[in-house]
Amino acid sequence: MASLSLKHIFKVYDGTVKAVNDFNMEIEDNEFIVFVGPSGCGKSTTLRMIAGLEEITAGELRIDGEVVNDYEPKDRNIAMVFQNYALYPHMSVYENMAFSLRTMHLPQNEIHKKVTEAAEILGITQYLDRKPKALSGGQRQRVALGRAIVRNPKVFLLDEPLSNLDAKLRAAMRAEISRLHKRLNTTFIYVTHDQVEAMTMGTRIVVMKDGFIQQIDTPTNLYDYPDNMFVAGFMGTPQMNFFEGTLSRRGDSVTFSLDCGARIDMPYSAADKIPAGYMDGAKKVVFGVRHGGIRLYDPSAADNGEWSHSKAVVSVVEMLGDESLVYASLDLDDPDSEGGTVILKAHPDTRVARGDIVDISITQRKFHVFDAESGHSIKRRIPEENVIPCDIKDRKLCFEGKGIPLPPALVRPDTEGAEAVMPTSALTLGDGEATATVARTEDVDIGTLYTLTAGSLTLFAIEDGKPKYSVGDTVKFTLDFCKLKIDKCGIAPPHLSNSLSGGLIREKQRGGGYKFFFSVCGAKLIPSKEILEKLFMCKGTGIFRTPLELVFDADAVSAEKVSESNIDSTRLFGTVAGIADYGYIRYAEISLDGARVIAPYDGQVSDRVALQIDGQRITVKDKKIDMIIA
Amino acid sequence: MKQEQKNIDLTQNSQSVLTNTAANSAANWEELDRLEASLTPKSKGRRGGFRIGMSLRRTLGDMVGQIVLTLLSMVWIIPLIYLIVQSFRGEPGAWSPTFFPHEWTLDNYKRLFTQTQFPRWYFNTLWISVVCCIVTSLFVLSVSYAFSRIRFRARRPLMNIMLILGMFPGFMSMSAVYFLLKILLPMNYQSHLSLIIVYCSGAALSYYVSKGFFDTVPRALDEAARIDGASRFRTFVKVILPLSKSIIIYTVLISFIAPWCDYIFVSYIMSGVPDTGLYTVSLGMYSWLEREMIQQYFTTFCAAAVIVALPITALFMWLQKYYVEGVTGGAVKG
Repeated sequence: MASLSLKHIFKVYDGTVKAVNDFNMEIEDNEFIVFVGPSGCGKSTTLRMIAGLEEITAGELRIDGEVVNDYEPKDRNIAMVFQNYALYPHMSVYENMAFSLRTMHLPQNEIHKKVTEAAEILGITQYLDRKPKALSGGQRQRVALGRAIVRNPKVFLLDEPLSNLDAKLRAAMRAEISRLHKRLNTTFIYVTHDQVEAMTMGTRIVVMKDGFIQQIDTPTNLYDYPDNMFVAGFMGTPQMNFFEGTLSRRGDSVTFSLDCGARIDMPYSAADKIPAGYMDGAKKVVFGVRHGGIRLYDPSAADNGEWSHSKAVVSVVEMLGDESLVYASLDLDDPDSEGGTVILKAHPDTRVARGDIVDISITQRKFHVFDAESGHSIKRRIPEENVIPCDIKDRKLCFEGKGIPLPPALVRPDTEGAEAVMPTSALTLGDGEATATVARTEDVDIGTLYTLTAGSLTLFAIEDGKPKYSVGDTVKFTLDFCKLKIDKCGIAPPHLSNSLSGGLIREKQRGGGYKFFFSVCGAKLIPSKEILEKLFMCKGTGIFRTPLELVFDADAVSAEKVSESNIDSTRLFGTVAGIADYGYIRYAEISLDGARVIAPYDGQVSDRVALQIDGQRITVKDKKIDMIIA
Repeated sequence: MKQEQKNIDLTQNSQSVLTNTAANSAANWEELDRLEASLTPKSKGRRGGFRIGMSLRRTLGDMVGQIVLTLLSMVWIIPLIYLIVQSFRGEPGAWSPTFFPHEWTLDNYKRLFTQTQFPRWYFNTLWISVVCCIVTSLFVLSVSYAFSRIRFRARRPLMNIMLILGMFPGFMSMSAVYFLLKILLPMNYQSHLSLIIVYCSGAALSYYVSKGFFDTVPRALDEAARIDGASRFRTFVKVILPLSKSIIIYTVLISFIAPWCDYIFVSYIMSGVPDTGLYTVSLGMYSWLEREMIQQYFTTFCAAAVIVALPITALFMWLQKYYVEGVTGGAVKG
């Protein structure tokens, strides 16, 4: 029983090859976490770093709140089950399970008790005297599980434990491991490349690729709301159907024009989460729908107005007994076209053959849209941004007949036909000058998502906790102008993350010993003790030769006008180049020697200021390989 | 069909996870075993035989090989037989006109044990060899395990240097060794201790075969032991060594034979020692082959040679199975 916390975990081989890249995750007590991904994605490496078999290059691993980076595996209170069992061939099953207990020098009767108990749980009591050689694969794997159980660990680590087993046995063992998890009430971390294992066993799944986390979520959320095309394609069989095309909106209807020539029409309300920027009929998108979301058109089935219709030509039919898989193409001229292939499930009695042109229905609810270039989902569960067509008039942001006064920083000459873009989080409900009507509420795990309408406008807002407003309510809302972007007027949100290049230096003290500083823009910043420790742990003395990048938020900087009291070498000095007044806060852009820093500052342009950076809130990166060290 | 039925049953069982009792779960495991047994393919009996042409060619090839090997082994064995029969020769003298003696006797052996210093030499050699054997084996096994498992910065360079050093014949360093010993043990450098030092000091150079063997033992075992809380030493002793019987025996044999058969270093280090009782067998026996002695001692020499060969021969015959495993196990990655 333990919680785990992984912060900015990196694994770098030979100083350049990054096997695991910025792995961040909080694992609660008692969870069943599955790491899944294609081979070489870093999932096993991550598991082995948690186990302590691999060194953690940079980052912080905590088990139950305790930093365990430097602990030996045995001191981390974990147990691990290996893919090839790794049983000791010369020892009996009993001795295999007792080995760790003997290492702990437990009394004989206690060892016996623990081993027999574990053997009973796993049904291997009758094999205790046998050598591993005399056991079948499934039995060996159970002995390996038993060896882990007897230690009564806080965390169970399983590295592809079922991949050496026969397919059918694997299905049965899968269920047994899930049972074991419930019975033992322990945190499990399970590595597999098999998405079925991941979907069926995990309470949460981490999808990885090329050392990067792609998405962490529950199995249903991964299936229903994949963050990108990789996750969408990796989870679920048969694979999700993907079609490239473009999107365009005409009034209340949205049309997908697929490259293969087909068109899918649906009302705007089904696609309102897609940012307006993609609805221009030119930007390439990928339309994705699972086999459950496509079916052969059935005139007798209830439609509910939730299905769009199209035609397809059948290419292959696979009979599976209780159902059939129909491979078809939306490109009616070519049943085998690459871009328009669709796989759909059909009733086994369906009689279709190659070359038949069939009517198909496509769901308007569970479909996905991805940016064709980046592969990121653009129809997210929580939309990333609100887009408001607006005008600027009399120092006000005007839309749908309302005007919200702009703060001084955003005052621009009057403009018409502009488009204000802001993240969903910039919209706060409850108070303010603008109003909208709640059209939909949705529970999205981290809170409630409101879909609001104001005239022809659709807006999204996210609030913590249970829904406070119900459908039909009129609510007031405010906008956070710090996050507002209006391209036409040159309004951009301030870049509130600062980054300075530098390095770590040491100075010999008179009394002996060294003092360490970050050398940045001619100043010597004193790093916190924790950061120093992490730097040395990761790089040793090589840290002095490593080019570093210090990253810190604007809020971590305190700026003061230069006076006699604050002149010393631990501060940075610069000149205020500009001030942006957002009403409730004023940010100053301060130019230093060849660098710029944003900080909250209540003064005038061209003031000389002294900056002090909160050492606790600095993130240090290795600039060469872009790795967060501390 | 039946299997599928079972499988479905199983998954259904497991869905009611929390309500299951222990008895129920045991039944479930048995079911699982049965399922697995039914899934394991039965062996098909004999494999299809070779066609006649193939087997004929094979037999012919085998025959040629066997004839050549027989001839070779005869060439090898004749001197051995000669040595053995000469040790039973009754006529005195170094040279005998016939291969088989006219007069058979055991007197040579009696004389060996009663009238010569041979028993003392034999004992000297034995204890030096046993000590060297133990120390060398420990050195070799631990060095090769370390090279196989631990990744430290000097690993590669060290391995290469040792490999290259091992390629030079040991006696090249003879005079240097002599003077080093004189510095190290100024009082009694012509002693058994200095022999032991000389034999053991270079031992780790022959790490290569056993490192190759350890490389074939899965690292997952080390890792499992590490997770189980075992130290490196415990892992080595309790997990790895029990799996490495063949390589241990190979190492022990090799490291026993080297000092047992060595003549060069003994003759150099012990030359001119007044007390011939300190000699090892090879040095002592060689003194019988000097011009003044050979007429008198040749047959005794043969008898001594037989006695010296006995323990090694016995060891080899007993352990040859492991020996072959050790050599090939190290050579081929499994």
